[in-house]
Amino acid sequence: MGSARRRGRQKAALESAISICLLVILFLIGLGVFVKQSDYDMSRFGIDTAGIELSSQQLGLIREKKPDLVSLGPDGFTTLSEAEIYNPENLYEKINGKAPLYLESGFVELLTQRFVSNNDDNLWMELFVYDMATTRNAFSVYSVQKRADTELLPSMQFAYKTSNGLYFVHGKYYIELVGSSESAELLGARGQVVDKISSTLPADKEAKIDELTLFPEEDLVPGSTKLYLTSAFGFEGLTDTFIARYKFADEIVTAFLSKKGSDAEAITVFENYSKFLLDNGGKELPTTNPKIKFVDFYGTLEIVAVAGPFVFGIHEAENPQLAAKVQKRLINRLLEPTETPEK
Amino acid sequence: MTEQRNYDPRLRGGKPAPAAAGDRREFLSRLSKAGIAVAGCGVASYLLYDPKGPTPGIKAEDIVTLPDFSVPQKDGQTISIVQGPDRVKAVNKAIELLGGIERFINKGETVAIKPNVAFASPPMLGATAHPELVAEVVRLCYKAGAKQVIVTDNPINDPASCFTLSGVGKAASQGGAEVVLPKDYLFKHTTLAGGKLIKNWPIFYEPVGRADKLIGITPLKHHHRAGASMSMKNWYGLLGGRRNVFHQDINTIIAELAMMVKPTLVILDATFVMVTNGPTGGSVSDLKRANTLIASTDCVTADSYGCSLLNLKVSDLPYLAKAEKAGAGTTDYQSLKPKLAVIQQSQR
Repeated sequence: MGSARRRGRQKAALESAISICLLVILFLIGLGVFVKQSDYDMSRFGIDTAGIELSSQQLGLIREKKPDLVSLGPDGFTTLSEAEIYNPENLYEKINGKAPLYLESGFVELLTQRFVSNNDDNLWMELFVYDMATTRNAFSVYSVQKRADTELLPSMQFAYKTSNGLYFVHGKYYIELVGSSESAELLGARGQVVDKISSTLPADKEAKIDELTLFPEEDLVPGSTKLYLTSAFGFEGLTDTFIARYKFADEIVTAFLSKKGSDAEAITVFENYSKFLLDNGGKELPTTNPKIKFVDFYGTLEIVAVAGPFVFGIHEAENPQLAAKVQKRLINRLLEPTETPEK
Repeated sequence: MTEQRNYDPRLRGGKPAPAAAGDRREFLSRLSKAGIAVAGCGVASYLLYDPKGPTPGIKAEDIVTLPDFSVPQKDGQTISIVQGPDRVKAVNKAIELLGGIERFINKGETVAIKPNVAFASPPMLGATAHPELVAEVVRLCYKAGAKQVIVTDNPINDPASCFTLSGVGKAASQGGAEVVLPKDYLFKHTTLAGGKLIKNWPIFYEPVGRADKLIGITPLKHHHRAGASMSMKNWYGLLGGRRNVFHQDINTIIAELAMMVKPTLVILDATFVMVTNGPTGGSVSDLKRANTLIASTDCVTADSYGCSLLNLKVSDLPYLAKAEKAGAGTTDYQSLKPKLAVIQQSQR
């Protein structure tokens, strides 16, 4: 009888211990759910985050981590409105239909600030600082939007100006300064803003884009290089593609170049792009070299070639002789031995 | 002292019952309780189940439909195309060719003007309706005897900044128009009959809904997503909510906007055309002088001609064919015999 009671007590104690353990586990699960549900990503669950305003304290914390655009204001100008911050979720609220261009190019954040002249309310400018994560991405959005017949700024690697605006790459940032008019006062002021950006906004100015050095310089139109991160020439498979324009008297030849991850990948892209051209009405012209295709595309010449990890060629050339000339230069450049460090 | 419950009859101090019988009773008892609990949960779930799921909370009587603002068609007076560098003179001529402002506005009417004021951008950049043009249309409406003219838009950027920096707010106010900026209570939900996207969607209804006539004014622009932004796309500014979701199906939404809005008149300003980097632009070098202004009672027709100024064909903009198929207008503007005019620089 005594031993039965003892066993019973031991059993009851064991059950109590298990129960307590289960209760503790349940409590921890509940706590975990409570903590997690307080901090989940609303955008993943389709909840409108646009209408949720940050408190001034939160906004202040965010701004502490951002470039201080107000301090970039030129002399004789004051801020016209509050600085604005946009992320991938709400970028469209600032630039509407142009947002996809940035979103497909690695966009992280946009900060904007307007400055107005102390002398004239009609003289104002807006500074757009796009954080594109990398210099390469910043160059892409810069180059794709670059206006024709504009003045390049030799003091910076990628920069040009128009009569009312100035556009440049500063490390991972693509920056626009857009003036409300073409007045001399605004032109002077935007120069000051650029100087302040160069001296105060941290950026990796030495970041290089290797492919740009692969285009032969002879007859190259200065500032004509562009980088299409997606769907060059309407073909989805042609990503990360640089183009450059060459000018001969009144004729232009467009060369392109895309470095793939491996030789095998390059061959696949070469074959797929060639097929894309033929599927869309191109007619293949005879050649004995399996690594190059000549396609008559509605009266223009397309050349597609592959060498190592590079897919390259000529796009929509009207003059076959000039196209061949540029293609030959491009091949020679790609086949040049690359420098190796001395031991 | 709390009572220690012990379910083993052998430990209760009573007579030990036959083990098998006690266990069976205990088992059946617990099974019954568990069964009742499960059944209770099932009944409660059944009673609480909502087969329709959550609804936006909109009552049927709160759903509105935009009025039909169109005027009776007249042969040969559906579209006018005027060439000239001065948009004020051009719009006067374009309206005159369609029968004059009196064809569109009657005495005592309230007129809503919907300019494209999407961006806080200076007039020089051509991203928004030009203030001179808005001012002139306001003036013409009052000249025709309008009781009140409302100028309104739901911009992409901050509304006050857009109306101020574009110059449209000042131009409209100085002309005597009431400028109405978007506020939550001015929106109502609408559903487009036969529409795929516009369902229970908030639109900027109040300032337009109380008008007798509706005039759209917009610059002709390249649009990175849609190909071109013209008079049909201008109605995007009547949408509320997270309208950017429609960019995923931009051709359908533009076609549906043309179905939803039946305007009195649209004015497509191509004095300068934004040929690149639209719809925001950002440089005067994005603009090309085309010295053209189009007025039409049919936005599909106006845009079908307008796209040619961007070197686009009607087939390049799928929303035009979609809108035409839905009966919103005609893409073959030539068949409507456009009224043409050229205004020289010095001509008044």
